Amino acid sequence: MTKTLNLTLKVWRQNGPDSMGRLETYNAGDISTDMSFLEMIDVINEQLTIEGKEPIAFDHDCREGICGMCGTVVNGRPHGPEKGTTLCQLHMRHFSDGDTIVIEPWRSRAFKIIKDLVVDRGALDKIIQAGGYVSVNTGGAPDANAIPISQDTAEKAMDAAACIGCGACVAACPNASAMLFTSAKISQLALLPQGRPEAATRAIAMVRAMDELGFGNCTNERECEAECPKEISIVNIARMNREFFKAAFFSEVK
Amino acid sequence: MRLDAKIPAGPVAEKWDLHRFGLKLVNPANKRKYEIIVVGTGLAGGSASASLAELGYNVKTFCIQDSPRRAHSIAAQGGINASKNYQNDGDSDWRLFYDTVKGGDFRAREANVYRLAQLSGNIIDQCVAQGVPFAREYGGQLANRSFGGAQVSRTFYARGQTGQQLLLGAYSALSRQIAAGKVKMYPRREMLDVVVIDGQAGGIVARNLVTGEIEKYSADAVVLATGGYANVFFLSTNAMASNVTATYRAYKRGAFFANPCFTQIHPTCIPVHGTYQSKLTLMSESLRNDGRVWVPKKPGDKRSPSQIPESERDYYLENKYPSFGNLVPRDVASRNAKEQCDLGKGVGETGLAVYLDFADAINRDGRDVITKKYGNLFQMYEKITAENPYETPMMIYPAVHYTMGGLWVDYNLMSTIDGLFVLGEANFSDHGANRLGASALMQGLADGYFIIPYTIGGYLAANTKKQVSTDHPAFKESADRIESGVKRLLSIKGKRTADDFHRQLGNIMWEYCGMSRNDEDLIKARKLIRDLRGEFWENVLVPGSDKDFNQSLEKAGRVADFLEFGELMVIDALARRESCGGHFNEGYQTEENEARRDDENFCHVSAWEYKGEGKDPELNKEQLAFENVKLTQRSYK
Amino acid sequence: MNWLTKTFTSSIGKKLLMAVTGLSFCAFLTAHLIGNLTLYAGRDAFNSYAEHLHSLGPLITVAETGLLFFGIIHVVTGLFLFFQNIAARPARYEVNKNAGGRTIGSVTMPYTGLILIAFITLHLINFHFIDKSGSTIFQIVQDAFTKPAYIVIYVLAVITAAFHVSHGFWSAFQTLGVNHPKYMPFIRTAGIAFSLIIGLGFGFIPIFISITT
Repeated sequence: MTKTLNLTLKVWRQNGPDSMGRLETYNAGDISTDMSFLEMIDVINEQLTIEGKEPIAFDHDCREGICGMCGTVVNGRPHGPEKGTTLCQLHMRHFSDGDTIVIEPWRSRAFKIIKDLVVDRGALDKIIQAGGYVSVNTGGAPDANAIPISQDTAEKAMDAAACIGCGACVAACPNASAMLFTSAKISQLALLPQGRPEAATRAIAMVRAMDELGFGNCTNERECEAECPKEISIVNIARMNREFFKAAFFSEVK
Repeated sequence: MRLDAKIPAGPVAEKWDLHRFGLKLVNPANKRKYEIIVVGTGLAGGSASASLAELGYNVKTFCIQDSPRRAHSIAAQGGINASKNYQNDGDSDWRLFYDTVKGGDFRAREANVYRLAQLSGNIIDQCVAQGVPFAREYGGQLANRSFGGAQVSRTFYARGQTGQQLLLGAYSALSRQIAAGKVKMYPRREMLDVVVIDGQAGGIVARNLVTGEIEKYSADAVVLATGGYANVFFLSTNAMASNVTATYRAYKRGAFFANPCFTQIHPTCIPVHGTYQSKLTLMSESLRNDGRVWVPKKPGDKRSPSQIPESERDYYLENKYPSFGNLVPRDVASRNAKEQCDLGKGVGETGLAVYLDFADAINRDGRDVITKKYGNLFQMYEKITAENPYETPMMIYPAVHYTMGGLWVDYNLMSTIDGLFVLGEANFSDHGANRLGASALMQGLADGYFIIPYTIGGYLAANTKKQVSTDHPAFKESADRIESGVKRLLSIKGKRTADDFHRQLGNIMWEYCGMSRNDEDLIKARKLIRDLRGEFWENVLVPGSDKDFNQSLEKAGRVADFLEFGELMVIDALARRESCGGHFNEGYQTEENEARRDDENFCHVSAWEYKGEGKDPELNKEQLAFENVKLTQRSYK
Repeated sequence: MNWLTKTFTSSIGKKLLMAVTGLSFCAFLTAHLIGNLTLYAGRDAFNSYAEHLHSLGPLITVAETGLLFFGIIHVVTGLFLFFQNIAARPARYEVNKNAGGRTIGSVTMPYTGLILIAFITLHLINFHFIDKSGSTIFQIVQDAFTKPAYIVIYVLAVITAAFHVSHGFWSAFQTLGVNHPKYMPFIRTAGIAFSLIIGLGFGFIPIFISITT
């Protein structure tokens, strides 16, 4: 049943990458339980605008949990308290009347704050640019059925490929590490025969890029898989480690 | 102006081969001297950027999001068609071609559609080679499913995330070219103008969405792949940032806008639940394979579905279309849902929904089978609505989903501005008046991977290379105009937000230019849009400053364009005095309330030419010739 | 940098160092515990175990040097990880909440580690670098555990070690890439069991000695 809630929001406001930020308090009255979290912010922003104040900057796009654009830390939890849910799919019915909600941006040295809740996740693109692809030009690909791939392998590759690149794993990791993100791509391509020829160079290049971009180290805290909206498993991190060791110690790649 | 579609001569199956042979080539060593701008990084823009860079061109790629991986192609669920005939069920290029032309209600260009069918197989090969994890059979071969009423299984899929996987494939190819230095990537940029120098596209002007700077970029050719305009309806299944600005501004610079009234309404979306709602969510069409659509027989019946006995339910699709039943095409299913709700038989709190009931399917096949088929969709439904579709029927309602209209392009995908190419949903497309399921992904990738790399070369080779520079006065003129537009928006300081105007525009469009239209409503809509636009420029409130990250300003600019574009849609809808596909004018229907085409007078593409501020656009027609497909009346009885 | 240093200074390389050295400490702890269990059999059994051990001569020196070397790697790499990980998030969250991945063992890893270094130093001073002429090793142990403070310190230290191992054990396997749907549940259980055995096995020794003395 639709109800309405009165909430207190504490939202991180920061004018730019180098400005000081602070939590500001807003009252959110008459919030319908059918609203999504982002629609709740829309309502607050509408109010702020009418009051002559600057609305809260936040990233969002598809609002159906697939583009990976949205994401803030809600009461200490990236994408909020629901498992396997992006912020845009989190509905206000999961909150209670009178709740105080603290909303903060992803925090990592590798993600500079652009404004308020908006961060620059370009580092994730750089990791992919280091090797998250199969080097095949357009045209000249063999028939799609030329290489059989077992259903099990295809499914495992798909499990890893489901990553939406939102950065929640980095935000959730106590060390701000990007291992789950990196491992998802390395895993997907390591599992598929199309990715094997470059597996060694890819593993080394992507891990090095990840390290250079200022992410922390993995200490197997498992917060990433617990918070991942696509529930990507740390099995992929183990697979990346294997790929990395194979590449570092047994391949000719330096 | 006479539109020349440059359709090559010869039998339809040989046109593309002959045409490619006829195109001039750019010497490999010379390719690196050319700069190409690609705007948009969805399936079309991403694949085009990568493929052009692989050929050796220097590419500058722009996207509105923070990363090229987030374009709205990512949200496509169902799959991608290809005439591989892996299932041995009689598929062929000819059959895919025929289905697409017929499904589009005979308002697409035959030659383009045949080429699309021809290239469909290459797309699957390319994507598999990139590591796209398509679903597989136990033996390791690719799996297919039937989709969108097709009688063959030709749809390739990656769970319910096919668009995502294909886009990430294109994104990975693009990333490789970025790393190689062949593509310079500009994220968080919004294209605000095409710069035309001596009749040729010479670059773009864009706003840096982080700093607010107005930036100029020159090139030898410009490729737009900026998607559709469904957000003119405010509520649609499109992403929040999807907008018409890039194509509309190109239209204002001389590119013709074709068939803007062809919009697709998808029948199975989660209904609207409140005025604050920002976005609609699509539920895969596959649900109609097992779900039965019904409403109460008695208007205004507010009992819960379980209390309505079988005898008081109206399974209107099954009754009306005995042979296709719940599986009628999208436009028919949508229109009928609206009809029932207009009769007061709609369900739910708003009365704008119909039931999609799985009780019979669960009784027949067991809950496990249904879970296996639709488990993730049921879960998504429950997440959004907090209702369990295993126990209570789903509620669905149609929503705007895709736009078949777009910038007019010739066979080379070039618009009426020389050197301005338009790909994917942004062009007026190969889908005619109605798009079939699983064919948008196919078109985006065919355009980007396999068509533009050839045709852009043909254009560049046929023209003498010019020295383009952002110092040209045309760039300054454009940048100044944009700057003053931005300043104007900020200076109004009215009382209503851009979002508020957008919502009102959406209501007008949905009410009067939505699922079914009539002349009276359309005329009314045109006036309402004009009035709203007038109010917008006097009463919009845009906070913040221009040289800053300012999402309200971005939004205001897009709404301003929607407010002009909405009128163009209405004008087009008024001019097309027939019903076809996504355009249903109540004045033109058969006795059985089906769309009645007028092939004698309207077998053409309507391409609108901008004539200046405050002036009506001029209609140019491209006659469509059907040499291979016989025009018939669609019937699903 | 050559490939080897690049490998070991990478994030996964550092994890590898932690995992390999950590697992060898687990092996050492197992051997140490088995040896120490002779304490429960009384003075003679323990003294003769010590004698046998010392009769191994140079092998012991090699093992000790190895342990020291591994210890240095483990501690230095651990400190690097600790400080790098702090630096990776310069601005901290105002609200911190756990999604259910972390355990007490994993959260406290660096701190239990530092406590263990202090304890190991004390432990070596107590029993290794002590003047052993004129008394048997059993005697020394017995003397030490007559002091209540020592009992408390040792029991607490052993509990600390148990927590450290509760995360370290399975974590080492995960790092080495040994994460298999069939075996991982077993490894995780084994990790908890191992930490309990370490905790109880070592923890009861001071209590047992003080009671029986």
